[in-house]
Amino acid sequence: MDTTRAADVVPTALEAVATTTDHLRIGRAWITSGVLFLAASLVAGFLVGLERMDLSGMAVFGDADSLFRFWSAYRVGVVLLAVVPIIVGLATAVVPLQVGAPSIVFPRAAALGFWVWVLGAAITIAGFLIGGGLGTPGATSRTDAVALTLLGLLMVIGGICCTTVCILTTIATGRTVGMTLSRVPLFSWSIFVAGSIWLVTLPVLAANVMLIYVDLAGRPAIAFGVEDTIWEQLSWAFSHPQIYAFALPLIGIAGDIVPVAARRRHGNHQALLVLVALIGVLSFGAYSQTAFDIGTPIREQAIFVVEAFLVVPLVLLVLVSFIDVLRRGVGSRKTRMPAPLYLSVLSVLFLLAGTVLGALRAVAPLDLLERSTTGAQFTFTVGAALLAAMAGTLWWGDLVVGRVAPQGFGLASALAVAVGLLFVAIPDTISGFMGLTDFTGGDLTGAGNPDSGIDVLNTVAMVGSAHLFVGVFGWLVTGALRFRGARSLGDTWGGHTLEWTTETVDVTSESPLLDTTVEVGA
Amino acid sequence: MSSTTFAPAVPNRPRTLVIGSALATSSVLMFFGCLFALYFARRADAMDWGMEWFPEGAIRLPPGGMNMATMALSAITMMWAVYSVSNNDRIHTYLAMVVTVAMGVAMLNQTVFYFNDIDLPIDHSEATTFLFVIVGAHMAMVLLGVLWLSLLLLRALGGQDTSRNRDLVSAAALYWYGAVAVYMVIWLGIYIAK
Repeated sequence: MDTTRAADVVPTALEAVATTTDHLRIGRAWITSGVLFLAASLVAGFLVGLERMDLSGMAVFGDADSLFRFWSAYRVGVVLLAVVPIIVGLATAVVPLQVGAPSIVFPRAAALGFWVWVLGAAITIAGFLIGGGLGTPGATSRTDAVALTLLGLLMVIGGICCTTVCILTTIATGRTVGMTLSRVPLFSWSIFVAGSIWLVTLPVLAANVMLIYVDLAGRPAIAFGVEDTIWEQLSWAFSHPQIYAFALPLIGIAGDIVPVAARRRHGNHQALLVLVALIGVLSFGAYSQTAFDIGTPIREQAIFVVEAFLVVPLVLLVLVSFIDVLRRGVGSRKTRMPAPLYLSVLSVLFLLAGTVLGALRAVAPLDLLERSTTGAQFTFTVGAALLAAMAGTLWWGDLVVGRVAPQGFGLASALAVAVGLLFVAIPDTISGFMGLTDFTGGDLTGAGNPDSGIDVLNTVAMVGSAHLFVGVFGWLVTGALRFRGARSLGDTWGGHTLEWTTETVDVTSESPLLDTTVEVGA
Repeated sequence: MSSTTFAPAVPNRPRTLVIGSALATSSVLMFFGCLFALYFARRADAMDWGMEWFPEGAIRLPPGGMNMATMALSAITMMWAVYSVSNNDRIHTYLAMVVTVAMGVAMLNQTVFYFNDIDLPIDHSEATTFLFVIVGAHMAMVLLGVLWLSLLLLRALGGQDTSRNRDLVSAAALYWYGAVAVYMVIWLGIYIAK
């Protein structure tokens, strides 16, 4: 007779990850997978950068279609398979602790969201690799593989939305006694705002994808699935203003790090909450899709232009408020400033650069909408979110993993990423003003003129891509070293928000919040 | 000298399940919002150019009207279920949920029958692609609602849906009202306006 009790059976690491409903484990799974997919996306970006050095030969991909496939894979991958999931992971792990909840609300749904996303991400990548992707100008891609990519994207969006619902519900209903929404830490608040925008815009992207999928699957496409229009229908989600919604949590990450590092409170916490909310509202980009271009194109209409300019002073105000905190606190700190602080400030500076480029893109006489400034703005804005995510993992990593990481190595990796971002974004900005199109594969004359200087800029951008990859690889190594590091002692930074005072607990219940209420009320 | 011990403060948790359902339902509504926005924009454009949208006689009002009536009635029976569970009225809760589920199944059945009957190919035009995507997605939404309500019905039969634990029924009801609201737009925009 087997006398082993169920409680005595220790699950393997794989079983623990696959069956967990612990928000810290789920968060770690999101972050780890996101960083791995980021590395894969950056490989695609590097190959595109390599090809751009000499487009006349098509030495790497062989044809413009394959180049376009990897070019679009890079954009989609960096946003939906990497930066957003990493932020979702950070939020899954940190937000419940920040608001004083015993766990994330609906932990099984949060885990389901992760598994749906990770499966969708794998399908998306498979679709890209077997000749699918998001359709190519030359229409040589395989229709069934394009449909597979779209199916993967639907799952990716579904997974992100599912976990986002859990995070937002935790913030809305799981806050501890006395923590009103106006007292919520900035990271949780920024996730609350950004997540709300994701929940109303990502389904719009899903609807676009669904229309394309249905039109494409199993028959010759007649409208939405026509191959050279697929990216056009989806591109609104990867450019201004929607891209700000994905980067918005960086303000929260920086906003939680700066005052602790400077040992000074924010001048006006409520004002920062309002600023984040305003930027969130302005980042709603579902209206700006080209499908609505009946008459005057949406991106030439007043709402698009005004919105592009309004967001700049708001981000500037955020930056000024952070600088004010640093200025007041710089004299009181006896030790070195922590590594995440530098990255936080850098990320806000990058976001500001992204918003300025966004405003310039909206100026019709400059004619930058279809130029490589679009790519530069993408790099600045998503890069800002990436830097903040790196800062966040260095800041909260001790809490999330329970072990310390070499901060210096982490900082060096992040600075390598920052340099890479600059090397990619600045040449793209300049070449955009010189007339280089955003996707250069279809316009060889604009990309390959050796006398224009654009080829030199493309070379610099390729070096930047390599730098980016090295930096992200360093981030992966930092994460691996953390798992082997010494045990964390708890409050690493002397933080003032709840997560640094809360004991993490093993959650054994499926509905911990409801159970807590019943127990306390009983 | 005496000391007083206070009980820990009870967290004031708003209705977690209802909030979660509201967030998820709002996402679903935005999904349909995009489809409707594109549908009406493209339709208006086609009309401006004097082009045919749906083939003459392809979309008939009676089946759509029947479905609308079914969905509207199911919203009322769903309210009945919420009211009954709030009042611990188990018999009426069972009845209301069974009737709501039956109406959802009937609506699905009517839609499948109708779309087989009209024999309109999905790749006939842009309009038919829209038609099948919108109606198909709504059928998926209703099917999910039917499954959710069936699960709740089993819980109710097990005595788990009581006035103290009524939030799951309220959450499902919110989702169901969303499904009814979406069908109302389908009815007005596709079956009536054509």
